[in-house]
Amino acid sequence: MNIKTAVVLVGVGLLLAARPLVAHHAFAAEFDADKPVTLTGAVTKVEWTNPHAWFYIDVKDETGKLTNWGLEMGSPNGLMRAGWTRNSMKFGDVVTVEASRAKNGSNNANARVVTLKSTGQRLFAASSQGQGQQP
Amino acid sequence: MNRWFTAAVLTAIVAALSPSLSAQWPLYPISGLPKGPDGKPNLTAPAPRAADGKPDLSGIWEVSARREKPGSAPPGRPPLAMFADIGANFIGGLPFQPWAAELSKKRVANQRYDNPDALCLPQGPLQYHLDPQPREIIQLPGKILIVYESNYGIRTLYTDGRRLPPQGDPQPYWHGYSVGRWEGDTLVVESNNFRGVQGGNAADGWFDQMGSPFTDALRLTERFRRVNFGTMEIDVTIDDPKAYTRPFTVRVEQQIVPDGSEMIEFICHENQMFLKLTGRAP
Repeated sequence: MNIKTAVVLVGVGLLLAARPLVAHHAFAAEFDADKPVTLTGAVTKVEWTNPHAWFYIDVKDETGKLTNWGLEMGSPNGLMRAGWTRNSMKFGDVVTVEASRAKNGSNNANARVVTLKSTGQRLFAASSQGQGQQP
Repeated sequence: MNRWFTAAVLTAIVAALSPSLSAQWPLYPISGLPKGPDGKPNLTAPAPRAADGKPDLSGIWEVSARREKPGSAPPGRPPLAMFADIGANFIGGLPFQPWAAELSKKRVANQRYDNPDALCLPQGPLQYHLDPQPREIIQLPGKILIVYESNYGIRTLYTDGRRLPPQGDPQPYWHGYSVGRWEGDTLVVESNNFRGVQGGNAADGWFDQMGSPFTDALRLTERFRRVNFGTMEIDVTIDDPKAYTRPFTVRVEQQIVPDGSEMIEFICHENQMFLKLTGRAP
């Protein structure tokens, strides 16, 4: 199938995957849902690991200085069931991430949505935010 | 028959059997999945039977997405348990002993730091039943294995006629010790000898994300009923007088994973950042 069809199918699949996909533990212990951040940068590393995949991006500020941020996503298990593959995001890809900042003030955050600049594709990050916190 | 004809036949066979290019790993069709007259999966077909004539519970199961309002279960159906809170649908909550209610509050206030789910430890029987990740039931003569994708979970339910061992005899287990017997088409599983909070690990004895506790006195009864090919109902009775003032029963509902997708390896420890990010790494 062509890329456009694949993107549409993945998008529909993601919309249908309304249920959280990975067991989570304590989002609130690590990250603050009241501290949203939106970051754009080039991917420097992807750790396709359990229990959470992590990726790192270099974010440039207005002076041109680069800061490396770490973003947590769900597990590869959850991500794959939401349409990701381990090659969806590669070194050098420019992405925009909507995330919740780490409580300890470090340059880490919990990613909710990742938009790939090259294709405009929006991928939900199988985030643990909001899961398991309410009855 | 000449070799060109054979080659053409073989090519046709290979082409017919090849997976569609649009199918993405890890899809692989369930063998024996009943189909309706339209060729689509028929998940309301009768449950399959094992060689001994009993229902076969084998399959890969995922937790149901059904929700209900607290107190709304009709008479005879226990309230639906939720992964976040097994007592969510009880009016007035669970019948905690006072210390157990305090411990649950403390665990939540402490940001669930010690939730076994977060620490890659065994999650306890209810968290495992309700975990969003799938589990595979493998029914064999004499025993049933449940392999949970999350946190290396594995339970053995002995169905060879052995009785539940006396409390305190075997070493206490995170998963408890389980024996099962059939009552008609219902598998009744009884378990005891859980570690519970007496196990001494802060991650011991969590029924849910609220940290609802359980103790080494827990006597668990689970009634598994495969209603049809695609539907499992498990009524779980919790009898733990150390933690609760009376026994109570919750309903767990699961459905077969219909697209045939596999269990995926989940090595929880390989990049465990939670301890580091919560300031507890050595």
